[in-house]
Amino acid sequence: MSYLSDTVDQSEWLQRVLSPVPVSVGLIVFGVALLSAQVGIGYPNFMIAALDLAVLGLTYGLVVLGLNLQVGHTGLINFGPHLYYAIGAYTTAMVASESTIAGVALGLPVPVGVVLGVVLSMVAGLFIGATSLQLRTDYLAIVTLASAEIMVRVINGIQFVFGGQTGILNVPQPIHEAAVNYKSELLVTLLILGGVLLLAYAAVDRLTSSPYGRVLRAIRADEEAAQSLGKAVPRYKLWVFIYGSALMGLAGTIVPLYNGSMAPTFTTIQMTVTVWIGMLVGGAANNRAVIGGIGIIIGLRLVTRYLQQYSPVGGGVFAPLRLVLIGAVLWAVIYYRPQGIWGDPDKLGEVFTRK
Amino acid sequence: MVSLAQVLIFSAEFGSFVAIAAISFSIVYRVVGMINFAHGEWLTMGAYIGVLTVQALGGNALLALPVVVLLSGVGGYGLARGFYRPLRRSGAGPIMLMLGSIAVGYILRAGFRIVFSSEPKTVVIPTDVYRFDVLGGFFVNTTQLFVIGMAVIVFTVVHLMFKRTNVGIAMRATGSDEDLAEVCGIDTSHIRRNTWLSMSGLAGLAGFLIGVSTNVYPLLGYQYLLLLIAAAILGGIGSAYGAIAGAYVIGLAVTFTTSYLPTAVSTLGTAVAFVLLILVLLVRPSGIADVEAAT
Repeated sequence: MSYLSDTVDQSEWLQRVLSPVPVSVGLIVFGVALLSAQVGIGYPNFMIAALDLAVLGLTYGLVVLGLNLQVGHTGLINFGPHLYYAIGAYTTAMVASESTIAGVALGLPVPVGVVLGVVLSMVAGLFIGATSLQLRTDYLAIVTLASAEIMVRVINGIQFVFGGQTGILNVPQPIHEAAVNYKSELLVTLLILGGVLLLAYAAVDRLTSSPYGRVLRAIRADEEAAQSLGKAVPRYKLWVFIYGSALMGLAGTIVPLYNGSMAPTFTTIQMTVTVWIGMLVGGAANNRAVIGGIGIIIGLRLVTRYLQQYSPVGGGVFAPLRLVLIGAVLWAVIYYRPQGIWGDPDKLGEVFTRK
Repeated sequence: MVSLAQVLIFSAEFGSFVAIAAISFSIVYRVVGMINFAHGEWLTMGAYIGVLTVQALGGNALLALPVVVLLSGVGGYGLARGFYRPLRRSGAGPIMLMLGSIAVGYILRAGFRIVFSSEPKTVVIPTDVYRFDVLGGFFVNTTQLFVIGMAVIVFTVVHLMFKRTNVGIAMRATGSDEDLAEVCGIDTSHIRRNTWLSMSGLAGLAGFLIGVSTNVYPLLGYQYLLLLIAAAILGGIGSAYGAIAGAYVIGLAVTFTTSYLPTAVSTLGTAVAFVLLILVLLVRPSGIADVEAAT
């Protein structure tokens, strides 16, 4: 990354200005300014669907950064991102909600909910990491998946806490409440989330391109060798698991604050599958590539959504055809580029590509 | 309140479905070295082949059985050859192969919806198969006896295959060390083909039995996927005996929670199965039956 490079050249000043941190701060400040200026923003209606999907893409971007830290950089297979996402989302919803039909609604300030959501998902990461990170790779995959599925069923099953199928209602929507209309709300949301994602990217990229990241890659390549060099492998693995959980939890907190409610449909295994596909399509272990991968998956959803208008078949056939297309694209990417579109096969272990 | 004997019958039936499916998943993993996330769709395929075959054969489930196993075997092998072999040859490692199987799962599930629609289909078999028998205060229907009986036959056949036949022994050898098996003169690509053929047949059988007991819909196999993976892992993945044990443990856990917990929290049945899985793995990180030790 340019902002970490040691070489001094004439464009250094420009590079520093365009590096992620100032840009993300700029995005957030601009978003807040737009919001407080109370300007109505206009753009063509057909863009609304695209921008709405982009909000989802940005939250998934946070999840994939955390997942990539665990899977791509350190080799810890985690099939349960939807667990931490759900914890972040439900905690925020229950803490901040003013009233709901069934379930908990504490009515505390929104920031309290966000902080608690992130902290609790870190605690969950600590608990699951401490108990299962010593398991073999395929068992770890299943334990993480199983613990997430337990959470999904608990959320669905225990109505008086989580509100059952209806979920938690009347969660404050800070941007919605401050914005003039829906179009400006959407744009400001995108600006602020874009800034948050870029900040998270800068933090993760800084972490993984430092000596710390080298230790993580050493653990991924050969755990015993890393251990024999005096690195406290279990502690590194646990902390990476917690950092990843924090990012996934943070992504979760966005969901109720944007939608105004939280229901089990937002935290199914489908979300985990989407993020995994995005990560591997882009190229695991490369922080920019995984976000690009998410962009491709979200773009694919959007394109097929528009295509439906021109399709001769009805919705009953088009919806499954769309899934066939997504499956076929994924298969083709693995066939032609098993390391992912921007991935480097030499960097990933044999788990991903065979030599 | 349901009687204990009744719950045990339900558990045995449920466990039998999961056991047959988990054996096939587990053996494919052991021999071919691939976690097939589309394995649930192998079940669904068997169920739909069952619907069509039973229809074609005039409603005789027993006569349809061998046809279903055969066609599912060929179908599953064809899918593996068409979708997985190119990926393997292009250099995809285990994780990418697993992701490829998720893609194949998407395609097949959606394909079933397009071809058969989302409407559930019933496997029509003569009514006397559904006759209920009262045995000392609880019910056993002939479908349940049929399912449990089929599971026992499958366990015996699988046991004999692995212990007595050359193919089975060669499969175990390939699963333990592919290079060594190759050096010993075993044609491992031939063994992989036999594994896909026989284990897809078993998966198809599991799907057919589920279809006979309930009905057939595009998501049938997918809903058993996590349970059958849990059963395979619980039993120490790669071991057929472990898979059987794991499946019945899961069958008991699921049925007991759904039968005895208050209805407000009764959807937690599968959650209990996963809690059990995690607890077992924490105590015995390689499952109930340790594969390295058991073979």
